[in-house]
Amino acid sequence: MGHTRLSATSLKNPFDLTEVTIEPNGSIGLNACERRTLLKGLGGTLALPFLESDAFAKKTPDKEPLRFLVVGNPFGMHPGNFFPMDFGKDYQSSPTLKSLDWLRDRLTIISHTDHNMVSGHGREISFLSGVLPTDAQSFPEKNMSLDQLFARHVGSQVRFPSVGASLDSGIRMSWTANGVEKLPITDPQQLFNHLFLNLTDQQKKLRKQMIARNASILDTVGDQFSETIKRASGKDRERLQQFETSVRELELTLSDRLTWIDRNKPKLDLGSDFLADGTIRKKYEAIFDMIAYAFETDLTRVATIEFPAELNYTDLSGVNRSYHGCTHNGRGEDLVNELVAIESFQIECLSRCLKKLDSIRVSHGDESMLDRTIVLFGSGMGYGGTHSNRDLPILVAGGGFKHLGHVDVRDNAGRNMPLCNLYLTLMQRFGIERDSFNTSTGSFEALDWS
Amino acid sequence: MHAFLPKYESHHLMSVRNRIDHLFARLAVFFATVLAFAIAITSQPKTAIGEESPLHAHCGDCHAGNDAEGDFSLGQIGSDADNGDYHALSRSLERITAGEMPPPTSSVLSTSEKAAIVHFLKQRLRSHPDQINRDYRLPPRRLNNREFENSVRDALMIEDVGTHQPTDNLIGDSRFAGFDTHGQTLGFSNFHLEQYIESLRSIMDATILSGEQRPSERYEVQPTQIFSAHTSQNINRPERRGRPTGFDFLDPKQLAYFAPFKTVPATGWYKISIRCTALDRGYYPATETGIHDADPIKLVIQLGNRHREFELPDEEVMVINLQEWLAEGTRLRLRYPTDGLTLRGNGNFKFQNAIAGEYIKKHDPNLYKRVADAIVTKPGRRVLRPESWHHWVDYWRGPRPRILGATIEGPFYDSWPPRRHTALLPELESGKTVEDLIRPIATRAWRRTVHDGELDHIVDLIEANEEKLGKTEAFKEGIVALLASPDFLLTATEKSNANERFASKFSLFLHSTLPDTRLIQQANTNQLSTFESVHEEVRRRIRSANIQPFLQEFPYGWLNLSEINFMSPDPDRYRFYHRKRLSEDMCNEVLTFFNHVVEQDLPITEFLEADYSFINADLANIYEVSDIKQDSHMRRYHFHNGRRGGLLGMGAFLTLTADSLGTSPIHRATFVMENLMGIHPTPPPADVKIEEPDIRAARTMKDVLRLHQSEQNCATCHRNIDPFGWAFENFDSVGAWRDTYENQTETPTKKHNRHDGPRIDASSTFADGTDYADINAFRRIISTPENQERFARCFITKLLTYANGEVPSDYLEIDTILKRAKDHDYRISATIAAVIDSRLFREE
Repeated sequence: MGHTRLSATSLKNPFDLTEVTIEPNGSIGLNACERRTLLKGLGGTLALPFLESDAFAKKTPDKEPLRFLVVGNPFGMHPGNFFPMDFGKDYQSSPTLKSLDWLRDRLTIISHTDHNMVSGHGREISFLSGVLPTDAQSFPEKNMSLDQLFARHVGSQVRFPSVGASLDSGIRMSWTANGVEKLPITDPQQLFNHLFLNLTDQQKKLRKQMIARNASILDTVGDQFSETIKRASGKDRERLQQFETSVRELELTLSDRLTWIDRNKPKLDLGSDFLADGTIRKKYEAIFDMIAYAFETDLTRVATIEFPAELNYTDLSGVNRSYHGCTHNGRGEDLVNELVAIESFQIECLSRCLKKLDSIRVSHGDESMLDRTIVLFGSGMGYGGTHSNRDLPILVAGGGFKHLGHVDVRDNAGRNMPLCNLYLTLMQRFGIERDSFNTSTGSFEALDWS
Repeated sequence: MHAFLPKYESHHLMSVRNRIDHLFARLAVFFATVLAFAIAITSQPKTAIGEESPLHAHCGDCHAGNDAEGDFSLGQIGSDADNGDYHALSRSLERITAGEMPPPTSSVLSTSEKAAIVHFLKQRLRSHPDQINRDYRLPPRRLNNREFENSVRDALMIEDVGTHQPTDNLIGDSRFAGFDTHGQTLGFSNFHLEQYIESLRSIMDATILSGEQRPSERYEVQPTQIFSAHTSQNINRPERRGRPTGFDFLDPKQLAYFAPFKTVPATGWYKISIRCTALDRGYYPATETGIHDADPIKLVIQLGNRHREFELPDEEVMVINLQEWLAEGTRLRLRYPTDGLTLRGNGNFKFQNAIAGEYIKKHDPNLYKRVADAIVTKPGRRVLRPESWHHWVDYWRGPRPRILGATIEGPFYDSWPPRRHTALLPELESGKTVEDLIRPIATRAWRRTVHDGELDHIVDLIEANEEKLGKTEAFKEGIVALLASPDFLLTATEKSNANERFASKFSLFLHSTLPDTRLIQQANTNQLSTFESVHEEVRRRIRSANIQPFLQEFPYGWLNLSEINFMSPDPDRYRFYHRKRLSEDMCNEVLTFFNHVVEQDLPITEFLEADYSFINADLANIYEVSDIKQDSHMRRYHFHNGRRGGLLGMGAFLTLTADSLGTSPIHRATFVMENLMGIHPTPPPADVKIEEPDIRAARTMKDVLRLHQSEQNCATCHRNIDPFGWAFENFDSVGAWRDTYENQTETPTKKHNRHDGPRIDASSTFADGTDYADINAFRRIISTPENQERFARCFITKLLTYANGEVPSDYLEIDTILKRAKDHDYRISATIAAVIDSRLFREE
């Protein structure tokens, strides 16, 4: 890996600068044998996880900073089995959501919200923005997805501004502010390496060199600039100060990154049975465990997990056909059951992860990690069987919200609520001060927090 | 559409779904501020103008004392002792000049009285301390992404920033009132700076090559080595490849690539030769494919972000030969550009295959029968009828380009190091000092003379890096630093002199890039110090220079075209709009018209008064025009019914002011007021409470608004707003004519909109009593000399906003520009020149 090559890869994504974004085909320099050895060698190191970001905390927060987890699929949910029949907190739980019953007081299932898209595949990629790539030019942040907006807010406070994971392939859920697709890591082993494997000395050296080069450019610009600003009159001064502040902040960010490079990552032992021979359940459990641990150790605060269309779900009991095939069930009972089995599996994986998060006590304040994690499950497609992109299956959990159970969010005229209204609320909860997001018409005020 | 909303929110995109109530709330106090004349007030302060003066006589009844109407009292325009409020003065002038004040129901001004008041108010402005002490200097602003890209290109003297999309990482620019030049909105952060550095590095890497020269190779591409790239996330499905006879483009959404040459292996010159032809144009009816028979079949070669488009001859082999400087990593892709092949099903290409079945059914019934008979339905599977698209995939003969093969050779170099390298850094190996070498680059990039010592830090950087990185790489670091500096990234700081600032601004205004040598020289020798010389230069540049950036960006910003799909028409109800990408045609109509006005140097009033526009067959479909050639080319067309022509009848304006399902006269009125008439409703204070009227009984928009007007709060404003919008009520969400409203209770049918709702009444009455019955009459009103002048003032303000990066507030100086433009019959070149020659532009 040459010098320039590294710079191109590692700095491609503006808000994921601290580490190489692993390309779908790439690894970071160790052969499989070494990796396996490393994985096994890590057993029993799980005592007290060291919080990654502690060294950088400028001041100790009263409360644990919030995390954000998004889980999505490309085909929506079979509505009859996903949405409960009745509304309110005492709703009777639906078949697909059964595994989340333990969480029912910290859960909001939202009926009748969407991005007002026509039916058909391909629009689900607007799930986290409400904007299709083709319409992105009308929006200053293009079709930037919610997770990337959160990641930008977190910045270099943590090692990874965001982490995206999937299995085998992705569902095009994450997009940057420039309208560029952010690919998830689709192999659990690569995800492990990315999150928990330390860089080689050579890699560290190359990265440091690049940071040093950028730092010396900043030095030069800053030096030259100090004279300009000294002479500037009141009118120029304000704009120039913006520039000066930018130079200073970027210098700080670079020095944060230098520290990240030298610091070892937290250690995690997952065993090795999730590797090649593992079932998809095992693999997804590993993915969710890694994300939960990354949250726990503050490696990242923003994560997305995707359930792709092409995955072979047939190793789940009761599933014989392809995911896509099951959505075109012609209302045949068998096929619907298979589809619901796949969808229930997705929720089970989520539920297991949330239980794990709930068992983690955060270090700042007396709460569980789940109460400090905004969880969003959903899809940009309503239901694959009808190709409908209306009435998306949307669920919010944790995050310290005053949850609502099952709610119908249509307005008095019977119109669906723009999903961006919910996103605005999630943003505000996360501490991002905004009053609009893409197609929002306001916030989803009913979902409050204390 | 947020731009129609008050400024304080316009940096965020706001949804407009519930805008009616919203706007009512916001606009309520505007007219309460400026217009309302209802309640007589007895206490009157002493004003500079006597009790018997016309100003007092006509305005004093309402605008006096603490309870003055519309929060405006005559006291605000001053007394003998003070000069009053500048803003209030200029607002009063605008309203009175326009004839909106005083309202005819309260008072009528004679011509001489009006002249006296106008004279008096201008006098007040002229002697106002704000005017006398006005500092015309503008603070520097960040270059926007367009200007950055063009300026880097010109500073480095290359054809473009590179084919490897080196500026894709830049953070998008937010717009203010449609423009991407607004200083305050552009802002600067560490994110910006970091992205600039990354982008600059990447540009430098593809411009200055170090190390050994890379050997050239030849790549032969057989048609079977051409693949159609995945467009979905389904990467398990094999990609379609060409047959030995050629690679055919089917789905226009799919990009093709050459397997032996997916990406450029090393930066350098490449010779690309592609053998191709066009097949089966017009084989299927155009009504089915959505591709006009008269449109040539085209092929786009995408070299990263550099696109080359070619028209292919029918059934005849054409060899395309390109010679291009390509950056390492550039992806070479090919595309069939058409807005057709999306009319079937949900628009996905696969559904088009059914057209083949229909064609065969009609023309080759035997074959049809054979295919239909061969269909076997497996048990448990869906029954697929013969007309289903599935059976006809192999029979597709839609219009399409075919590639027969290609040869690529490269990289080549004109010399080593390549000429672009030596042009930038001549004699790198000679005895010149580091400073000598970078000074010319700095002078170009910083748009000014570089003073002694200013380059010291950069020289230090280069010298410090030389040992570690080598000479060439060290220079690259230096150039990155030079371009990452505020002297480049910000428009003229105080280190440039007035001439340099003028040349730089002139160039940014028309060309969105660094000034060329001619311009610098003209500015330095004071050759552009008079209106005449500026006018001559503007005309020369319109004729012979590249003013494309202005021709594209100014109308885009002025008319908010970037927002046309922000609340796009409902895709179920307005299928044609989406399927044939009408928004692009609509924007093109605006740009073509604007280009025409500039090219012919027509009066700017042509925008409002023309009885023609530039349309193609797809727009003709929306405009219900049949006597036009059936193709995609924009042609001048005269409308004979007086309903269209110029901006007011254009789909772009009518669509971008509409919501998904309905239209709103208020949005259209606000658009016309803000962007054509220069009337800016100010937002009401936050504590204004609007009672929401009961509108359940309303059947039409007129009913809704009438009910709103029963609220006094609403009524005071909407008497003045609504007349600017009612005239367009006959145009639906995509700008098509309608006599009745759509029947909203019916679910939208996919075939056609139902227009059997209530009949439309597009009449209205302005506050001054002028009334109109329909769009034709409205267009006559908008063409009166008063309205022409108002439009010209608005247009000038927009030009200045684009050029200055902030909204101008100098009423008198705009008056001067306006007068000059008027002296030249509002010809656009003179209007632009008058703006450039103004103190507001010259900043002095």
